[in-house]
Amino acid sequence: MEDLKEIVSFIAKALVDDPDEVEVEVIEGEKTVIVELSVAPTDLGKVIGKDGRTARALRTLLAATSAKQAKRAVLEILE
Amino acid sequence: MAENRKPPELDGALILDTEEHDDAPSSYDDEGLSGDDENFVVEGLRQSSPRREPLSPDELHEDGKAELSSEMLVEILKRMSLNATVQIREDSDEVVLDVGGEDAGRVIGKKGQTLDALQFLINKIVNRFPESRRHIVIDSGDYRLRRENGLVSMARREAKRAVQQSRIITLEPMSPRDRRVIHLSLAKFPGVSTRSDGQGNDRRVRIIPARQARSERQPRRERPPQ
Repeated sequence: MEDLKEIVSFIAKALVDDPDEVEVEVIEGEKTVIVELSVAPTDLGKVIGKDGRTARALRTLLAATSAKQAKRAVLEILE
Repeated sequence: MAENRKPPELDGALILDTEEHDDAPSSYDDEGLSGDDENFVVEGLRQSSPRREPLSPDELHEDGKAELSSEMLVEILKRMSLNATVQIREDSDEVVLDVGGEDAGRVIGKKGQTLDALQFLINKIVNRFPESRRHIVIDSGDYRLRRENGLVSMARREAKRAVQQSRIITLEPMSPRDRRVIHLSLAKFPGVSTRSDGQGNDRRVRIIPARQARSERQPRRERPPQ
């Protein structure tokens, strides 16, 4: 599950103004893995994007990465 | 390596590029990055720059974004545990990152979804500063060309069906870029017109036979009201 965390953290840090504020937690459930992303409040728009497009692109990458694994990855952006 | 290439007089070339992609798909629009500043740059450019020919390979490299974006892509693919290579391809005035290797198929994903997501994010990352935007295309072999050809032949097939059965055909939801391909490919197709309906992610192209165009609000069969 480390790779899921790494992907989100790497991309989020590249997108935001304040990379030091980027934190990613992974919570493993039985069938799903929740990847919780938190960023500086001023950077929320950067990781969500217009109409949620950036968040959706991140979710697509998570889905592609977790396809091999039995568990489904869910991205939560904390506000 | 990217740093060495940056000449001090680079601003002109960067701004030139902004214009080249002014009409590119809106998929990399960003509320945080667009706005007045960008318009200002584009306007200024139109007045001051007489050059419109494609950029030379040297100019393509000047801003280092080709290198930056390919490095970012490699790092992301690595973290996705995908075994893939990235090459910078300069077809015309565009930077194209060509993904190859044994996992290329997984990099593309279903209907190119993963490839599109990577392209979207890479553009966000390298175009964080609006004064030097450059549209980066991520491709794998001739995937994008093949997909576009596939869309065009599907559109023609469905247009033929719309005419033969004289009913409106609604296609599946598509990205703005794909819808544009459909609209353009059917612009001169006899007997049909096209238009997009629906909101956001659910926007679909409808192929409307000429005879139905007037009574479009009461489709005859199969189309439940929305």
